[in-house]
Amino acid sequence: MWDGIIIGGGLAGLTAGIRAAERGKQILIISEGAGSLTYSSGALDFGDVGQLLSHEDHPYALLGETVVHAGMEWFQNLFPDYRGSWSEFQEILTPLGAPRKAGIVPRSHNTEPLKNAKVIILMAPYGLKDFFPEIIKTNLLKAYPQCEVEIFPFRTGTFESWHTIGKPVTGMDYTKYWQSQPGVSELKRLLDSLPQTSGETVILFPGLAAAFCEPLKEVLAGTPFPVIEMTSFPPSACGHNLYSALKQKFKSLGGELLTGTGVQSIESHNKVCSRAIVRSKGRPTAFSADSFILATGGIFGGGIEATADTAQETVLGLPLYVPAQWTNSEFLGEQPYARIGIEADRELRPVGPGGKEVLFKNLRVIGRMLAHWDPWTETCGGGVSLATGWFAGNQL
Amino acid sequence: MKDYQVVIVGGGATGVGILRDLSMRGISALLLEQGDLAHGTSSRFHGLLHSGGRYAVKDPQSAAECIDENLILKKIAPHCISDTGGWFVQTKDDSPGYVEEWIKSCAGAHIPIREVSISEACRKEPLMDKNVLRVFEVPDATVDGFRIVWANARSARHYNGEFRTYHQAERLVTDKGQVTGVAVRNLLNGHQFTVHCDIVVNAAGAWASQLAGSIGIPLDVICDKGTLLAFNQRLFHRVVNRLRPSGDGDIFVPHETITILGTTSQFVDSPEDNDPQQEEVRSLLEIGEQLLPGIMKNRIIRAFSGIRPLHREDHDVPGVKEEGRNVSRSFALIDHELQDGIKGLISIVGGKFTTYRLMAEKVSDRVAEKLGNTTPCHTAEEDLLPEIPEHVYKKAARLLPYAPVEKMLERLQEDAEDVLKEIEQTPHKGQMLCECEMVSMAEVEKAASDEDTHHLADIRRKTRLGMGTCQGAFCTYRALPLLWQKKEKYDSLDEELRNFLNQRWKGIRPVLWGQQLRETELTRAIYSGILQFTEN
Ligand SMILES: Cc1cc2nc3c(=O)[nH]c(=O)nc-3n(C[C@H](O)[C@H](O)[C@H](O)COP(=O)(O)OP(=O)(O)OC[C@H]3O[C@@H](n4cnc5c(N)ncnc54)[C@H](O)[C@@H]3O)c2cc1C
Ligand SMILES: Cc1cc2nc3c(=O)[nH]c(=O)nc-3n(C[C@H](O)[C@H](O)[C@H](O)COP(=O)(O)OP(=O)(O)OC[C@H]3O[C@@H](n4cnc5c(N)ncnc54)[C@H](O)[C@@H]3O)c2cc1C
Repeated sequence: MWDGIIIGGGLAGLTAGIRAAERGKQILIISEGAGSLTYSSGALDFGDVGQLLSHEDHPYALLGETVVHAGMEWFQNLFPDYRGSWSEFQEILTPLGAPRKAGIVPRSHNTEPLKNAKVIILMAPYGLKDFFPEIIKTNLLKAYPQCEVEIFPFRTGTFESWHTIGKPVTGMDYTKYWQSQPGVSELKRLLDSLPQTSGETVILFPGLAAAFCEPLKEVLAGTPFPVIEMTSFPPSACGHNLYSALKQKFKSLGGELLTGTGVQSIESHNKVCSRAIVRSKGRPTAFSADSFILATGGIFGGGIEATADTAQETVLGLPLYVPAQWTNSEFLGEQPYARIGIEADRELRPVGPGGKEVLFKNLRVIGRMLAHWDPWTETCGGGVSLATGWFAGNQL
Repeated sequence: MKDYQVVIVGGGATGVGILRDLSMRGISALLLEQGDLAHGTSSRFHGLLHSGGRYAVKDPQSAAECIDENLILKKIAPHCISDTGGWFVQTKDDSPGYVEEWIKSCAGAHIPIREVSISEACRKEPLMDKNVLRVFEVPDATVDGFRIVWANARSARHYNGEFRTYHQAERLVTDKGQVTGVAVRNLLNGHQFTVHCDIVVNAAGAWASQLAGSIGIPLDVICDKGTLLAFNQRLFHRVVNRLRPSGDGDIFVPHETITILGTTSQFVDSPEDNDPQQEEVRSLLEIGEQLLPGIMKNRIIRAFSGIRPLHREDHDVPGVKEEGRNVSRSFALIDHELQDGIKGLISIVGGKFTTYRLMAEKVSDRVAEKLGNTTPCHTAEEDLLPEIPEHVYKKAARLLPYAPVEKMLERLQEDAEDVLKEIEQTPHKGQMLCECEMVSMAEVEKAASDEDTHHLADIRRKTRLGMGTCQGAFCTYRALPLLWQKKEKYDSLDEELRNFLNQRWKGIRPVLWGQQLRETELTRAIYSGILQFTEN
C-alpha cells in the first residue's frame, strides 16, 4: 500500500514525486515512456505569469501566484545548477543562435556575459548534427552588434572514424564524450589552446551540457573567459540530463519508479480511487494507494488520444474540455486543440461538466493533462508542469 | 519581331508535353509557368495511369485513348511509372448488370482484363474486404506526376525548348485581331515584359479561362475540386477500383510507401479554391471502408485537393453543374481562329494526366500545320530520359545505404553524378537530411542551388523532402542552412519556414487525429517552443 501512486513520469510526475517523497511519503511512479523532457530544450519556460494568472481557467489561475512562485523557488533550491528569478526573465540562445527569454535555465546557458563581450568565439565541433554555425553567427551579430564573431572549427579524435564514413555525430554523442574522462581532459586542452585574449572574449560552446556534471563544471570554472552554452535541436542532451537528474533525485529520496509499462485503468468506489491496474508479462497487476496523481502528458505524452470525432483520456476515461474548432490556418499561431485537457478545481481534482462536481476525491491531475493552456503560444510548458507537479506533491 | 514561334502558358503535364513535342519538331518555343513546374493539378492528383477501365462504359473514346497512352508511357517513361497492375472489384452493393456491361465495353476499347478468383484476390490483397463478389485485373499503373513533368521539361531543353518558372502570363497581346504575344510578369522580382510570337498555346489548365478572358474571349472551364487522402502505408499492392459507375472515394492508388484514396468531386469558383475540408475527408473514409474494412485504424498523413479543369460546351450545360463526373473528361482543342475569329491562339482544355502526350501531339500537329512545319510527332517513340549508366548505379550503391539509392537516381537522373561526387568528397553530405523519405543532404543542397528553385516548397517537390510521416518536423529545420547558403534568391529563413509549415498544415488540418495530432504537437514544440518562431 503506497501513500501515493503517480501515473506518468515526465516533468510533472517526477516533480510531484520528489516533492511528496521529500515530505516523507511513500511514492510509486509508474511510467510507460520517458516523457517529453529529452525532446525539450532543457530550459523551463514560465511565460508571462502575471498575465496568465488573469486567464480564469488557466492552471496558474487555479493554483494562484503564491504556489507558482513557491514551485519556482523550490526547483532552484533542488537544483542549484539551474537559475531563474521571479522578477525577470533569463536570456538564452535558441539552436539558431537567436536570443530568447525563459524562466529557469541551466546556469551555463545564461547569455549575461554576451552583453559586454567584444569577441564571441563560436566553437564548431566537426560534424555536429543539426548545428549551423554560419546562421548562428549571423543571428549573434544581429543580437550583439558590438561583437565580432569568430567560428572556431575543431575535431576530436574519437569521432574520426565516424567522419570518414559520414556518420552523423549528434549533440547527445558529443555530450557523452565530453562527460567521459578522456573527454574532460581533451576539453581542458582545447580550451587552453584558445588564443588568450582580453577579458572581453566569450566562448560559445554547443553540445556540451555541463549542468549536473561536476568534472565539466570544474573545467569551465577554471577558464580565463566565460564559456556559455546554447540550447539544441531535439533530442537534447540538456533536457535528457534534467530528466536523469529528476529520476535520480526521486530515487534517492526513496521513491520507486516503474518504467516501461503503462497503467491501464484505475479501480474506484464512491469517488475514491483504490488500485492502479498495470499489465506486466501479460498479466494484470494491481497497485493500491491512498492518493493518485495523473500525469500522463496529454496528446504528446499519450494521456489523451484523439479520433476523428473526439478526444479521450486514456486511463480513467475522464471527461475532457474539447473546443468546437480545433485549428486555425497560421500554424505557429493559436491552435485551439492545444487547450484540450481535463478541467480541475483548485485542488487540481478533476471536475465534471459545468465545473461543480468533483469526480474523484483522491485524484489530482497535473502537467500537460490539464485543460485551458497552450505551452507554445503562452511559452509556459515547463512552468505549468513544474508548478502543478509541485502543488500536487505538496498536498498529497 | 518574334522572340519565339510559340509561347506556351502553363507548366503542367499538358504544357510541358507540348513544349517537348514542338521542340522535337524544331519549332522554337518558350513555356511560362506562374509557380514551379507541376504547381497546378499535375502534382495534386491521384497518380493513376489509367488503363481506361474506369471510362469503358461511359466514355469509350476516353477509354481507348487511355489504354493506348498507358502502353506508350510505360514504354517511353518506365522510370516515372510503377507497373503495379490494377483491379476492379465488385462489392455486394455494386450492380451485376453494370459488371456485364463493363466487361463488354473493355473488350470494345481493347482493354485486356482477366478475372481473378476470390481466393487469389484475398491472398494477394489481405487487407481487402473478404466479401467482395468479383475481381478483374487490368493494366492500371501508377505514375509520379512531378517526375514525368520534369522529364518532359528536361527532354525539351535538350531540343532547345525553354521554360521559365515563376513567370505569369498576365494577358495576351493582340494586334489587328491576332494574338501576337504575351505580357509577362516575373513574380520573383516584379519585372514586366512582353514576349512576341506567332502562336500562343493556352495550356493553363483550370486557369485557362482567365487567360482567354484577358482579351475577352469566352472559354468555359469548370473547376471541379477533388480531394484525396494520403495514408502512411502501402495498404494495397496494386491499384484497386470499385467496379461501378465512377463515384467518390472508390480508388486506392499505392505509391512507394504510401496509399492515396480518392476522390471527391465538387464544383468550386476558382482554381485556388483547393483547401481540403473535413466533410470531404469523412465521406472518403466512409466509402473507402467498404473496400478496406477498418480503414480508420490506418494513419493518414495528409489530405490534399486538386482542381480538374473540365471543358463545357456552352450549349449543352443544363443540369451538369451538380455532378462533375458527368461532364466528359476527354479533352477539347480549341482553335480560336475558327471559334472566335482570333488568330494565333489555341487552347487545350480538359483531359487526363494519362493522355497528356496525346493532347500535346494534337496541339502540336495543329501548331505545326499553321507554321508550315511538316516534321511528324516523335514523342511516342523516343524515351523520355536516357538510361542511367551502369557506373553511376555502382557508385551510388557504394556511397549510400541500399534503400535510398534507387529513388535518388530516379529523381536526379543526369544530375546524379554531381551529387555523388559531392558525397564522395564530403562523406557527411551522404547523411539523410530527410529521414522519412531518405533524401541526402547533398541532394537537397543540389536542389536548393538549382537555378529554377526559388522556395523551400520547390525543394520539396524536387526531392520529396517533408512529404513523409514527419511532414517536415525535422527536415524543415535541416534545410535552413542550405537555403541560407543561397540566401540571395530565397525569402528570409523565417518567411520560408513559416510558408512551408503553413502549406503542410493546410493538408494536415482536416486529418488531425491519432498519430498525426501527436506529430503536430511535436512540430509546434520544435518551431514555437525550441526555435521560438512566431506567427507573422
Ligand atoms: C519537443 C519539445 C520541446 C519542448 N520545449 C520546451 C521548452 O523549451 N521549454 C519548456 O518550458 N517546455 C518545453 N517543452 C514542454 C515541456 O517539456 C512539457 O510541458 C512538459 O514536459 C510536460 O510534462 P508532463 O509531465 O505533463 O508530460 P510528459 O513529459 O509527456 O510525460 C508524460 C509521461 O506519462 C507517460 N504515460 C502516458 N500514459 C501513461 C499510462 N497510461 N501509464 C503510465 N504512464 C503513462 C508517458 O510515457 C510519459 O512518460 C517541450 C516539449 C516538447 C515535446
Ligand atoms: C483530384 C484529382 C485526381 C486526378 N486523378 C487523375 C488520375 O489518377 N489519372 C489521370 O490521368 N488524371 C487524373 N486527374 C486529372 C489530371 O490531374 C489533370 O487532367 C492534369 O494534371 C491536367 O494537367 P494540365 O497540365 O492540363 O493542368 P495543370 O497541371 O493544372 O497545369 C496548368 C498550369 O498552368 C499554370 N498557369 C495557369 N495560369 C497561368 C498563367 N497566367 N501564367 C503562367 N502559368 C499559368 C498553372 O500554375 C499550372 O501549373 C485528376 C485530377 C484531379 C483534380
